[in-house]
Amino acid sequence: MQILRKTDLEAFRKARELGPAGVISLLKEKGLSGRGGAAFPVWKKWEYTLNAQADEKFVLCNADEGEPGTFKDKFIIKNNPETLIEGILIAAQVIGATRAFIYLRGEYEHLRRGLERVIDSILKESKSEVEINIVVGAGAYVCGEETAIIKSIEGFRGQPYFKPPYPPVEGLWGKPTIVNNVETLANVPQAILFDDWIEDLRLFSLSGNVTKPGIYELTEGTNLSELIALGKPKNRIKAVYFGCFGGCMPYAAMELSPEKVCVKNCAIGSYSIIAVDEKQSILDVALSVAEFYAHESCGKCTPCREGTIRIWELLEKIKKKKATNDDIDTLKDLAEQIRETSLCGLGQTATTHVLTALAHFRNEFVKEA
Amino acid sequence: MMDEHDVLLLPLLRKAQKKHGYLSEESLKKISRKTGVPISRVYGVATFYSMLHTEKQGENVIEVCSSPSCCVNGSLDLVRFLEKELKVKTGKTTKDRKFSLCKTSCIGCCDHPPAMLLNGRPFTDLTKEKLRALLKKCGKKKRR
Amino acid sequence: MKITLDGIGDITCDEGKTILELCRERGIDIPTLCVFEGLKPEARCRLCIVELDGKLVTACSTYPRDGCSIVTNSERVRKARLMNAELLMPKHVNACSIDAKGESDPLCKLIYDLGLTRIRFEPIKKYAQDLSESVLRDDNKCINCGKCIRACSEIMAVHAIDFAQRGHDEHVSPYCGHRLHDVACIKCGQCIAACPVGAIYEREHLFEVLKVLNDKNKHVIVQTAPSVRAALGEEFGMPAGSLVTGKMVAALRKCGFDRVFDTDLGADMTIIEEASEFLHRLEKGGPFPMITTCCPAWIKFMEHFEHGLIPNMSSCKSPHEMLGILAKTYYAETSGLKKKNVVVVSVMPCTAKKFESTRPELKSEVDYVLTTREAAKLIRHFGIDFTSLPDEEFDSPLGISTGAGVIFGATGGVMEAALRTAYEFATGESLGRKLEFEKTRGLDGIKEGSVAINGKEIRFAVAHGGANIRKLIESKDEYHFIEMMACPGGCIGGGGQPWPTTKEVLGKRMDAIYRADRCLPLRKSHENPAVKAIYSEFLGKPLGKKSEELLHTRYFKRDMF
Repeated sequence: MQILRKTDLEAFRKARELGPAGVISLLKEKGLSGRGGAAFPVWKKWEYTLNAQADEKFVLCNADEGEPGTFKDKFIIKNNPETLIEGILIAAQVIGATRAFIYLRGEYEHLRRGLERVIDSILKESKSEVEINIVVGAGAYVCGEETAIIKSIEGFRGQPYFKPPYPPVEGLWGKPTIVNNVETLANVPQAILFDDWIEDLRLFSLSGNVTKPGIYELTEGTNLSELIALGKPKNRIKAVYFGCFGGCMPYAAMELSPEKVCVKNCAIGSYSIIAVDEKQSILDVALSVAEFYAHESCGKCTPCREGTIRIWELLEKIKKKKATNDDIDTLKDLAEQIRETSLCGLGQTATTHVLTALAHFRNEFVKEA
Repeated sequence: MMDEHDVLLLPLLRKAQKKHGYLSEESLKKISRKTGVPISRVYGVATFYSMLHTEKQGENVIEVCSSPSCCVNGSLDLVRFLEKELKVKTGKTTKDRKFSLCKTSCIGCCDHPPAMLLNGRPFTDLTKEKLRALLKKCGKKKRR
Repeated sequence: MKITLDGIGDITCDEGKTILELCRERGIDIPTLCVFEGLKPEARCRLCIVELDGKLVTACSTYPRDGCSIVTNSERVRKARLMNAELLMPKHVNACSIDAKGESDPLCKLIYDLGLTRIRFEPIKKYAQDLSESVLRDDNKCINCGKCIRACSEIMAVHAIDFAQRGHDEHVSPYCGHRLHDVACIKCGQCIAACPVGAIYEREHLFEVLKVLNDKNKHVIVQTAPSVRAALGEEFGMPAGSLVTGKMVAALRKCGFDRVFDTDLGADMTIIEEASEFLHRLEKGGPFPMITTCCPAWIKFMEHFEHGLIPNMSSCKSPHEMLGILAKTYYAETSGLKKKNVVVVSVMPCTAKKFESTRPELKSEVDYVLTTREAAKLIRHFGIDFTSLPDEEFDSPLGISTGAGVIFGATGGVMEAALRTAYEFATGESLGRKLEFEKTRGLDGIKEGSVAINGKEIRFAVAHGGANIRKLIESKDEYHFIEMMACPGGCIGGGGQPWPTTKEVLGKRMDAIYRADRCLPLRKSHENPAVKAIYSEFLGKPLGKKSEELLHTRYFKRDMF
C-alpha cells in the first residue's frame, strides 16, 4: 500500500532544503488535499498559516477519528506512525511552529504509548526541536471538528465556534494553527519524497455486513461494486451509508467519487462505507444513527441540541408504529431546518441520513407508520 | 498556578479519573486550585465528555458500540444479553458495583465487529461466549 | 462597501459591522436571544437567521461582503426562525403567563410576532428549581442562551455557574450540581439582568411586605436607594433617565407605608463615618488602600476570593443598613414607637442586599428588601397610576439628604461623596464650587485620580464590574482609597433594576443621578442637618462607641468555591 511506504526522514530533510515556500509549491503541484472529509488543498491551508503574523504558531494533528465506520487513521497510527510524525515535523518546519499537538481520541488511548515511543525516536533522529504533545480526548465525536479540538485542548468544553476566524489565522490560544487529519499529514512526506506518489489513492474504510471489513487503498472513483466484492458480503447489499454524516443510498454499481456521490444527495467525506444487507432494517440503522447524533451533539446551538433528540424521538415513534403522516412531515421539516441553521458541520450533516433514508427507503418508514 | 498554555485541563482530568475511578468533587477542587481554572468550568468540562464520570462507576466499565457498523452486526443484541447476564439496565451499575454497562458511539473497531470498550480497552469480534468469559474473568460468577 | 438589503440595492455601509448591527442601524428588527451587548457573539440561539447570498446565516456573527445580498424577511427565513423558536418552547415551560420577564421576553415576542403557534414537541426533562434567599434559578425555563454564564464569568469574573453535560442534557449549573446558595456566588444578580427569558430571577418578598402593610399593629417604614429614583419610572413607560423622586415617594405612600425615608440619608451617615475612618487611617499611616463597603456583592466577592483584603476594608455598614438601624433606634425612640412594631423595608436596585440583611454579624434591622422591579409590582398591585402622581417629599426625620448621598447610585459616587467630606474635615477649608470630582465619574471600568489634602497627594481609584475589580486589585497598592462596586455602572446597573440595562440606559440613569446632585441645595454629607441632629442627639461622634456598635460591622474569610 502506498500509505505504508517508509520515508525515513528523507522527506523531512528534503523539505528543510526546499524551505517553506518550496514545500508549499511542491504540495500544490502534487495536489495533496485534506483527508478529513473537507478535501481542502493542503498547500493553501499551510500558506495561510505561514503568512499569518504571530509570535507563535501551532500544528494540530486531528486524530479524533470519530465518524462511525472510519478507522483509517487508526490503521496509519498502527502501521506507519513514522510517516505521520514526519509529516507533523514538516508542517512545523514550514510554518515555524515549535509546538505540535496530536489530539488522539480517548478510544484510541491504547495506541498512545506506541506513538510516544515513535515520537521520541523520530525527534531524536531528526534533531528537531519541535515539541509534540499527545492530548488524549475523552469521548466526544464533536471534537473531530477543528474549532472544537482547539477549545478542548485549551481546557474548555469541546464546543465548536463559528468561523471566521479560521484556525490558520486564529487557532489555538488565538495563534495561527494548522489543523490537519492524520491521513493528510501521513501523506505529506509521501507526496514530497516520491515522484510516483499517486494523488487520487484513498483509504476506504469498509465495514458493516461484509465478511472482510478493513482498510482498502483504492483510487478515487473506484466502483462501489468492486469495493463491496472485496468485502465479500454473505447476503445481498441493499444500501450503503457513508459514515453517518454522508447519508445513505441504495446499493448501485457506481463510481465512488465526491461528484457522483453528491448526485445521490450523499457526501463521500473520508471514504467510509458501511454496507447494509437485505436482512437489516433501514429504520433500525436510522435509529442507531439518530441516537448517535443526539448523544454526540455538543449542545451549543438550538437546532442541533434540541432537534437531534426530536429526530430520534420521531423515529422511535415510527418504530413503535405510533407515527402519523404529520409526524413524517415534521421529521422531514425538522431535518431540513437542522441542516440549514446549525452552527457547525455536526449539525449541518446530522440529518442527511434521515433525509436520504426517507428519500430512498420511504417504504421502510411509512409502512411502519 | 500554571501558565495559560500549560493548562491542559483534559489530561489532568483523565489522570485524576484513572487514579480514583471517577472525578470526585475533591478531585475537581484540587484541579481547580492547581490550574486556576474556575471550578464551575472544571465541572463543565468534566461533564462534557462521555469517558469522564463525576459519579462513582462500577469496578468494571463496559461500553458496547451501538453505531451502525456494529449495530448491523448484532451489537444491540449483545447489549440486551449483557443486561440479562448482569441484571442491570443500560446506563446503570450493578448492585454489587462490579459492572457499569452503557452503550457508546463508534470506537473505531468497525473491522472487527461487534466491539466494546472494557475499562477503556477495546475488545472485538464479540460473541455471547466471549462476553461470558470476559465477565467471569472480571469477577462475576456465571449465571445458573 | 455596497450591499443589497431586502431588495434595495446600492446601500452604502461601513465595513467591520455585522449584519445585525447594520440592520439595527436601519431599524430592521431581527430577533435575538443570545446577543450580549459589549461581548463577542456566540451565535448559539440561531434565531437571528437571515439570508446572505442565498445561504442561511446568523446575523449576529456574520459580516457582509462587498456586493452581497441580504434578505431579512423571506419565507425561508421565517420558517427557520420559527422552527428554532418552536424547538425552544418546550424548554420554556409555564412561560408567558407568569414569565418573570413578561413583555420583554424576546422568545415569546418572536412567537407572537411570527403569528403562528404550533409546538409539536413535549418537554423532556424536569429540573428541580434552585432556590435561595436572593437569586433563584429555574432550569425548566432555560433556553441555553448562555448569557447568565457570560455575565457571571466575562463581566463579573465570579464564575459561579457554567454549562454542564452535553447535548440536550446541557444545562446551567454551579459546580457538582450545588445550589447557587452554596457556592461562591456574590448575589449581584447580573445573571438575572442578562437572562432574556426570566429563568433566573430574584426571590421576591412582596407577599411578606403586603402582609405587614395590612397589619394595623405595624409601623411600616420604606426607604429608597439613590438608584431607584433614577430608574423606577422606566417600569411605567417613562424614558430612561427620568428622575422620579417625588412620584416614587407619593406612590409608596399610597401603597400604605407609614413613613417614606431616604436611603440617601443613610449614605450621608456612611460618608461621615467612612471619611472619619479614612482620616484616622491617614493619621495612623494605614492600612492602605482603604476600600469602600457599601456594596454587599463586593463584600462577598472579597470574602470568597480576596479575603487578604479584610484589613483594608472600611468597617462601615451600607447606607440602608445604617438607616435601618437608626429607624429602629433613634427614630423609634424619638417617636415613642415600640421597636418590635417597627418594620423596615428597603427598596434597592440590588439583589445582594437581600442576602446582606440575613448576615448574622450585621444584626440587620432591615426586615425586607425589595428590588426596584418589586417596588413597581407593588405599585401596580395597588392600581396606582404612577405617571400622573404629583411629587411628594420624604418624611422627617430620616428624609433629608444631600447631593453626596444621591451620587452613591453611580460608580464613583461613593468616592466623590467621601472626598467632599474628607477634604473639608481634614483641611477645614471649603471646596466651594470645586466639589465635582470629574475623575471619579463615567463608565470606564477603572477610574483613578488624586487630590491634595494638607499637602499630601491622596490617590484614589474606582472600579465597577467584577472583571475590573480583579484588575484593580492587582495594582491596589498604588492607592490610598478605593471604591469597588460589583455591578457595571454601579448601583444604577444593579441586578434588581428594570430591564433592560443597556449601556445607553446606564448612561441616562447616570445623568439623572448627577442632575439630582446639582439640583439639591445641600451637596456635602456633613452639611445634612438631620445627620447633624442624629449625632448631637443620639450617636455622639463619628467612630464613637455608639456609632461603632450600630453602624459598623465585620467580615469573614469564605471558601473560594
